[in-house]
Amino acid sequence: MANKKIINIPLGSQHISLLEPVKFKFACENEKITEVDSDVGFVHRGIEKACTTKFKFDAVPYVVARICGLCAITHSLCYTTAVENLLEGEVPLKAKYLRILLVELDRIHSHMLCLSHTAENAGFEAMFMQIMGDREYVMDLQEKITGNRIQFDYVSIGGVNRDITSEIIKDIKTNLKIIKAKVDEYIYEFTNNWSLSLKFQDIGTLSLDEAYDYNAIGPLARAAGLKTDVRSETNYLPYDEVGYKMQLGNTGDIHGRNIVRLNEILNSIQMCENIVDGLPDGEIFTKLKGKPNGESLVRLEAPRGELMYYIKGDGKPFLNRVRIKTPTFACIPAFMEVFKGSNYADAPAILASFDPCMSCTAK
Amino acid sequence: MINKIKTTLERVVEDINNFYIKEKHHFLTLNGLKLDEETTQIQWIFSQYGEIDNITMFYVDVKQYEVIPSVVKILPSAIISQREIVDMFGIDVEGSDKGLYLDEDSEQMPLGSCGI
Repeated sequence: MANKKIINIPLGSQHISLLEPVKFKFACENEKITEVDSDVGFVHRGIEKACTTKFKFDAVPYVVARICGLCAITHSLCYTTAVENLLEGEVPLKAKYLRILLVELDRIHSHMLCLSHTAENAGFEAMFMQIMGDREYVMDLQEKITGNRIQFDYVSIGGVNRDITSEIIKDIKTNLKIIKAKVDEYIYEFTNNWSLSLKFQDIGTLSLDEAYDYNAIGPLARAAGLKTDVRSETNYLPYDEVGYKMQLGNTGDIHGRNIVRLNEILNSIQMCENIVDGLPDGEIFTKLKGKPNGESLVRLEAPRGELMYYIKGDGKPFLNRVRIKTPTFACIPAFMEVFKGSNYADAPAILASFDPCMSCTAK
Repeated sequence: MINKIKTTLERVVEDINNFYIKEKHHFLTLNGLKLDEETTQIQWIFSQYGEIDNITMFYVDVKQYEVIPSVVKILPSAIISQREIVDMFGIDVEGSDKGLYLDEDSEQMPLGSCGI
């Protein structure tokens, strides 16, 4: 019997399929990936350290918003909620609704970015450009509500920084209606287009058992049928009042992840519409008293999955610990498992379907 | 509300093994908390699928020279956070290499000291 020839092929640290610094080292037997190693530390910025040494607790929301351009709102909101749990006072209901609105708009454009990249990796450049163009409808809304397209400082301890006007509500309804029609078209294409089906169905599969074993989260887990979504496992935000529904798949492949994301976009649109239709009256901000004393752990569902902040304070302006667990970082072992047994040629498409964020990972 | 369970380096793997049911519990992460210059608290944090904020934390207070046992046989996904603890706190974790986050010429164990 001939000796097996193993070839080592890297993917990254800079690769055309993903313009973020991550390196996977594949050991391949012919085209088949047999072993995987990863390196994720190319852009480590020491933010956890900075949050306890350079910035007082009330400035940290604006620091952690810089961790990731795409999900800045989820980072600042997760930290802010952890601090609010340790202070005296209650965040106004209107502010909570506006927080959900921004988190869900963020999820819509983040999922659209991922879908465009997966289409690009199947050689469908036109779809990539189409989705990226349509994504601007959401970016415009974010700019109108917060002042910035991305990396906005909308949340602060005690509420949100800007109220919403009737003109903006009108724009939200108009743009979301357009996006909803576009998403219906995407679902048709992702389901029926021959080249997308060929490239995505039964490729890069994570089984339900593997999802449990590797503690998969977010769309990666839900596409495999694992019923987990932080929006249904926490009650900091009134998701039960705005029409949240968990979206599940059962195939665990790239196609399954795409469909879960598309259905989540539709559900997020529905939630945003419900929020602007039933927005409570009242204040958007309450000044909370005191300094954080004790420990607090808060989880939120970022677009890529569970985001966790653990903070510990002793009543002083500087916290003792800010621990940030980001979705991509937690999923690296699951990613590596999915690559094993796949063809090297499929690796870029599989990687894009994970929607990895190295900015979050190497915080 | 966090349900905190104190354990020891000798017992932590057994305690987690007895507690963890993969279809029920979700392993969140491994966390380090510097208590003083000599002591770090290592925390293994879990949530429960489908339950509202049901958080369980196993914790051990360790000295800098002590070696943390690996839980990778029970929780394969812990490999990545174990390597993070090694880099960030300079504490040895059984079977976990340095260099996930930090290069050799980086500041070493940046979270390994307390205070401002």
